[in-house]
Amino acid sequence: MRSAGVWAVLAVAAATLALPLVLDSGGLAVYVQVAVSASVVVGISLLMGYAGQVSLGQAVFFATGGYTAALVSQAGLPTLAGLLAAPVVAALCALVLGLPLLRLRGHHLAFATIAVHLIFLAVVAQTDALGGSTGLQGIPLLSLGPVEVSTNQGYAYVAWAVLAVVVVVARNIVRSRPGRALRALATSETAAASSGIPVGRYKLTVFAVSAAFAGAAGGVFAFYIGFLSPGMFPVSMSITYVVMAVVGGLGSVWGAVAGTALVTVLVHYLGVLGTLGGMPDYAPSVLTYAVYGLVLVLTVLFLPHGVLPSLADWWRRRSGAREGRDRAGEEEREAAPA
Amino acid sequence: MAELQITGLSRSFGGVHAVQDVDLTVADGETRGIIGPNGAGKSTLFNLISGHLRPDRGGVSLDGRPLDRLPAHRRARRGVAIVFQAARIFPGMTVLENVMVGAHLRASAGFTAAVLRLPAHRAAERRIRELALDSLDRVGLSDRAEDPAASLPIGLQRAMQLARALCADPALLLLDEPASGLRAPERERLASIVEELHEDGQTTLLIEHDVAFVSRLSDRVTVLDLGRVIAEGTPEQVRDDPAVVSAYLGTGEGAAA
Ligand SMILES: Nc1ncnc2c1ncn2[C@@H]1O[C@H](COP(=O)(O)OP(=O)(O)OP(=O)(O)O)[C@@H](O)[C@H]1O
Ligand SMILES: [Mg+2]
Repeated sequence: MRSAGVWAVLAVAAATLALPLVLDSGGLAVYVQVAVSASVVVGISLLMGYAGQVSLGQAVFFATGGYTAALVSQAGLPTLAGLLAAPVVAALCALVLGLPLLRLRGHHLAFATIAVHLIFLAVVAQTDALGGSTGLQGIPLLSLGPVEVSTNQGYAYVAWAVLAVVVVVARNIVRSRPGRALRALATSETAAASSGIPVGRYKLTVFAVSAAFAGAAGGVFAFYIGFLSPGMFPVSMSITYVVMAVVGGLGSVWGAVAGTALVTVLVHYLGVLGTLGGMPDYAPSVLTYAVYGLVLVLTVLFLPHGVLPSLADWWRRRSGAREGRDRAGEEEREAAPA
Repeated sequence: MAELQITGLSRSFGGVHAVQDVDLTVADGETRGIIGPNGAGKSTLFNLISGHLRPDRGGVSLDGRPLDRLPAHRRARRGVAIVFQAARIFPGMTVLENVMVGAHLRASAGFTAAVLRLPAHRAAERRIRELALDSLDRVGLSDRAEDPAASLPIGLQRAMQLARALCADPALLLLDEPASGLRAPERERLASIVEELHEDGQTTLLIEHDVAFVSRLSDRVTVLDLGRVIAEGTPEQVRDDPAVVSAYLGTGEGAAA
């Protein structure tokens, strides 16, 4: 079972590295998009699934990372410095915003984060230093030392490398003393506090970590696309991230990646379908939103723990049942709900 | 060393005076029983001591140092541990993980150590795990360590919370009806744990409805009624106190619920 897991991870890693070499340009764009979005969604999964906090403004931190990377690079500093500054500035913004916001709970927090998103868009559109509503043009290509990343394949590798770092950081947090504390306070802040966990400080920390993930993704995105404007970060983008996290399974790091891939690929190919000849011109947007809605409803109805955790459960039960036939003594344990 | 001193403590909810001008001193190493009819203010008193509620007036100090300005998690740091009356478990975790949360303060590795997998992280995990396994052993839940916490019957969930509290190595232990929902053998086990803790010099406050159970374990007993202390003394003194008898008869509460 354990070695099967290792092989699975190796196979996935090899496929991840090989895919950019074989995909066509459309596929490659989706591939980069999945890695960039998944870095944000892993942060949301951590925030919602482990710390019990909802953010419908995560695209703000994505945009913050993007603008940071762009401004640092356009100021003549190394682009790598821009990429590294992106998560730091996004996390600092989260610390400042989180102090008042995280006093709110549940849907109050959700609404407040949407409000922050709207204010952010309005402020950026009015700020000349950020290019106002026309945005920033001519963001340089990313350079890693002497190597300039100029192809979409190159950005695919950068995006997936950033995602790999995000996944490792998230998993290391989850399986640790602070990770346990986060899971504890997600279900009972009172009981967590009575074990000495500083609930407020921990919530703020995980909010900043999730913002750093989004900021790093935004940094990659800025170099990849080459221009930024407030219109590229609508509120629906923040909502999409939450949908991806829920579909993948809140509180599952790999689930977040799977949920992102599933929703991104589905939406992309329905968009392609919508633009085929003979389709009315409202078809693409109708199909896209219908799919968000449908996927979310189906997940919540049939796979309440998300796609990947449900699959894992099914697999465990299946192999459990097989072993159970050989070892009757284990049957009772396997039958107990996980 | 843990001496608890409470002076003039009051808290009301709307018009209900849940705790009114309570003065209470519990000596180091003492087991103090707290009894009183339903709604007497016992749980409210515990929440005021542990910092989950703010008082309207009055103060709480431990070893002569006031706790009043500290939030709940800082009071835990000062050594206050509580087992709540309502089972407050972390349902998504195993029994062992629930108890490991209780050992949070016994190690200090934080986010940075966790992300970078520093030696401090590994040392903390090992220590926390050992402490949690010891506590589980103490309350007799070792064989349930890997079970989901939510799968335990309510009585054992309370035992798990006791293990979580013990894991913190508290100076002051607050037990709010820890025996309710326990069957006879589990109840005996609880009694012997409280007795052992007493021998080790633990300062404990014990709320229970079962007067015989409290009397057996406590050095002294305090009786609350309508938020006020109406009697205090050794279990024998309290049992014969006319004010206590009338408080229980007046509300129709059976003394040995
Ligand atoms: N959060 C609250 N809001 C409003 N009233 C409350 C609150 N907590 C307690 N009370 C009221 O304060 C009084 C004391 O309640 P408390 O829970 O302290 O009693 P208790 O002695 O623990 O009772 P029991 O034996 O039933 O557990 C009761 O009248 C209760 O209704
Ligand atoms: Mg009570």
